[in-house]
Amino acid sequence: MLLELNNIFKWVTQGGSRIFLLKDINLQVEEGEFISIMGPSGSGKSTLLNVIGMLDNFQEGEYKFLDESVHSMKEKNRSKLYKEYIGFVFQAYHLIDELTVYENIETPLLYKNVKSSERKALVADMLDRFNIVGKKDLFPSQLSGGQQQLVGVARALIAKPKLILADEPTGNLNSKQSEEIMQLFKELNQAGVTIIQATHSETNAAYGSRTLHLLDGGRNHI
Amino acid sequence: MFRNYIKIALRNLWKDRTFTALNIIGLTAAFGVAFLLSMYALFELSVDKFHENVGSIYQVYTTSQIPEGSESSDANPIPFAPTLKSEIPGVEKITRYATGGPLITYKEKTLSIGSAWADPDFFDIFTFPVLEGNKINPIERSTVALTEETAKIIFGSENAFGKTITLQRNNEAAPYTVSAILKDFPEASSLRFGAIFNFQDLPDSFYKDNKDRWDAHNHPVYLKLAANITPEKFEKSTRPFSNLHFADDITTAKRDGAKPNADGQFQQIHLLPFTDVSFADLQVANVKVSKTLQYLILSIALLILFIASVNFINMSIAKGAQRLREIGMRKTLGASKSQLFFQFWGESILVFIVSVMFATLLSFLLLDTFQTLFRTKASFNLIATPTIIFGFIISLLMITLIAGGYPAYLMSKLGTLQSLKGKLEVTGRNRVRNALIVVQFGIAILLISGTLVLQEQLDYMRNKDLGFNKEQVIAFPLKTKKDRKQLMQLIRDELSDKPNIVSVTAADNILGLGKDGTNSTSAMGFEYKGREVETNLLFVDYDYPQTLDIPIIKGRSFNREYATDSLSVVINESMVKEFGEKDPLNIKFVLDDSIQYSVIGVVKDFNFQGMDKSIQPLSFFMNSKKPLYQAYVKVAPVNLVKSYDVVKAAWNKLEPDTEFLGSFLDANIDRTLQKERMMTTMISSASILAILLSCIGLFAISLLVVSQRKKEIGIRKVVGASVSTITVLLTKNFLKLVGIAFLIATPIAWYATSQWLQNYVYRIDLNIWIFLAAGAIALVIAVLTISFRTIQAALKNPVESLKTE
Repeated sequence: MLLELNNIFKWVTQGGSRIFLLKDINLQVEEGEFISIMGPSGSGKSTLLNVIGMLDNFQEGEYKFLDESVHSMKEKNRSKLYKEYIGFVFQAYHLIDELTVYENIETPLLYKNVKSSERKALVADMLDRFNIVGKKDLFPSQLSGGQQQLVGVARALIAKPKLILADEPTGNLNSKQSEEIMQLFKELNQAGVTIIQATHSETNAAYGSRTLHLLDGGRNHI
Repeated sequence: MFRNYIKIALRNLWKDRTFTALNIIGLTAAFGVAFLLSMYALFELSVDKFHENVGSIYQVYTTSQIPEGSESSDANPIPFAPTLKSEIPGVEKITRYATGGPLITYKEKTLSIGSAWADPDFFDIFTFPVLEGNKINPIERSTVALTEETAKIIFGSENAFGKTITLQRNNEAAPYTVSAILKDFPEASSLRFGAIFNFQDLPDSFYKDNKDRWDAHNHPVYLKLAANITPEKFEKSTRPFSNLHFADDITTAKRDGAKPNADGQFQQIHLLPFTDVSFADLQVANVKVSKTLQYLILSIALLILFIASVNFINMSIAKGAQRLREIGMRKTLGASKSQLFFQFWGESILVFIVSVMFATLLSFLLLDTFQTLFRTKASFNLIATPTIIFGFIISLLMITLIAGGYPAYLMSKLGTLQSLKGKLEVTGRNRVRNALIVVQFGIAILLISGTLVLQEQLDYMRNKDLGFNKEQVIAFPLKTKKDRKQLMQLIRDELSDKPNIVSVTAADNILGLGKDGTNSTSAMGFEYKGREVETNLLFVDYDYPQTLDIPIIKGRSFNREYATDSLSVVINESMVKEFGEKDPLNIKFVLDDSIQYSVIGVVKDFNFQGMDKSIQPLSFFMNSKKPLYQAYVKVAPVNLVKSYDVVKAAWNKLEPDTEFLGSFLDANIDRTLQKERMMTTMISSASILAILLSCIGLFAISLLVVSQRKKEIGIRKVVGASVSTITVLLTKNFLKLVGIAFLIATPIAWYATSQWLQNYVYRIDLNIWIFLAAGAIALVIAVLTISFRTIQAALKNPVESLKTE
């Protein structure tokens, strides 16, 4: 078992009444799964991903990651945990504009204090694998959307995470680019990486091994 | 990691070139000026600290009780120093000290050399090393010690040691052998002389005639206190000494109704640490050491740095909003708070390092100008002691830590998700920003008000009617080997047939400060109808009131037709009050030489001293034996320059060997205002810089605000807002801040300036207009700064601004 969510509740208080973002979410994820989360806008897909990614908190329930209780963990340990095991891919790529492709991919390694020679080797591998060696000195603004997302995925993978969280990874891409990225995810999954993606599109959801539907108010239903 | 930080820092700085440039310009200017100002203040504060015995050297002064309260004086009688040393334990070394500018002759050359006379202990107290010659006692009788510089001036390339120079003493030429060459003094020495003689070689009228007199006070005394005694204990132990030797003075004081001080003393000897002497006025009742000016300058330096740092903080915070996504992204990639903090702080440090380097360069380039402008010898190597360098580095680090660290801290503590979404709770930050802008403009308004008040007071003092004609009178010192009386006669004859010369006179003192920088006061007390009256003395030649246009309101002035005028006195109105007589022309009084003088005339009060003093009693004497040191020539109001040349030509004809040091009296008065002028220059340059820096900051903030509200401006225009309403919308918040700054700064400025004006008996009245003007200046400049960008934004086609979203 990679992670387990039990009865997760998350809400905000507005005008005295609670508005639920997540309501009684239960989810078990085994290693090697490829899960798609679907649901209309505002159903809490991103919130759920953020909770899983430990970027966001919840009010009630319990969350176990590799048999450790995340909800009772200190901030510092939590960040250590996700630094080690989780990679993020965003709809808007979120590359750092001031860094080149090479440097963007290298950044997570810097924060993990990987030695310089090892970093070089790992980044070179990654560039090779994604076929973007020729673009390594370009800045994000000089790339197309698909290429930027490719870099985004490469960056998420560089630290060898067990889990990739992808929030609408193809939302800003055209269908051809979209297909390429999804194909890439599929290959990664086959190589053993667990993936959870949030998506609007049935086509993309179909790449997954299992789909989780979220209704308005964040109730899950499988 | 580190290289990555530097790289991204440089790229970021380059991307925001405008802001980086504004920051670097502002910080460079601020640091540069702060370096110069603090160097100046530290140099001034380091005066006289180079002596090895510093800490145990003191100047002696005495506070005496008088009917009006108390008064202090640093002048002592001739027997005072030796007697003090022999009678009071604790005096390790003691020296008397006197200065003057005697004419020194070597071969054909005659020069006026700034000289000192002292006792041999002088060289054991102070650290003035002997380079060559008698190292044990460089100033035996009839010998002289010269500084290297003076030796070069007198002897040129010849070796000065052992040579003989002559000096006028008791109206005859006395030979002195050069017994030692002294190392040139450090700039930080307040004691300065070119030649130093034995104290006993002073003219008889100064030394020998007063050798046993305890009532003739004419020189300062310095001493080195033994290690085992505190100054307080020493002062206490001198009480019987004062009571014994100043018994006559004490009797007089008691008779006139003086009250003893808290310790029951009428005369109290005090010690003033030598390093404080330059900061104290020893003539006032309560001697206070005041380093206000130096600390004021230091605080101005700090204020300017503060303003520039505020700019930096505000710009960094505002710019931080554009880097939210980067912050969020880095956090999701695993960056910790401290890593982010160091990244952003590192960027700030980079900017600071560049600015400090430029500023160092700038301050070295401006050093010469600074030195001339503020007439100082201060330079960086003079103050470069390890402590100061260390303190300097620490303060630089502190400034970077605060100015660079605060925005870095704010950015690093942002929540991950919040920053990823690019959302920012704006209100809290703006409060800090607004508070900082208020303080910034408050400082600027404070400095502007200070400038305006200082400027007005300076103008007032310059243009004030002093009671004598300062525009048409040329004064020059009578530096000569001839008999001064004869010389005066020659000058009179020489000038008598020249056109535009109205009248000629002389006196023993100058009005204002002459080109040679000398000025003296001479005062005395005598008994009149059973009580002590005090007067300032001025020995004058014929035509003194006429030459200076001082109106005679009663009686007459000295006149050649009256043979007895050497026993006549002309007094001013204040002296009439001091006498307390209805009919001043009947006053007759006896001085200590038991000759009776009678008052023959009264002149209107005029400011013969500085404007920090009220007009004191003054008496003119005409004593043919007293040397007259200054000549005054009144010229016609036309063609002043030409008349000056005529006087100069006359002098050069009569005294070809001595330089003509004449100047118009208004220039002399200006010279006395040097301190005020310097302060005005300093504060006005500081305030110009302060307002410039504040505006750079405001400009940058307005740029950012406009870019952040681009969309809002576009929408407002689409729904029908006019250019002017949008400009007002964007400007009014900033103007509110300047208004608040004005309300806070004005009372402070009012208080500070009125305190400063208390130093002057003759001063301007503060009025609200000065402060309103300062506020208006700040406001107008702020409006111009902001509207430059806001109007541009308001004029933009709304379609463009909406499209960019």
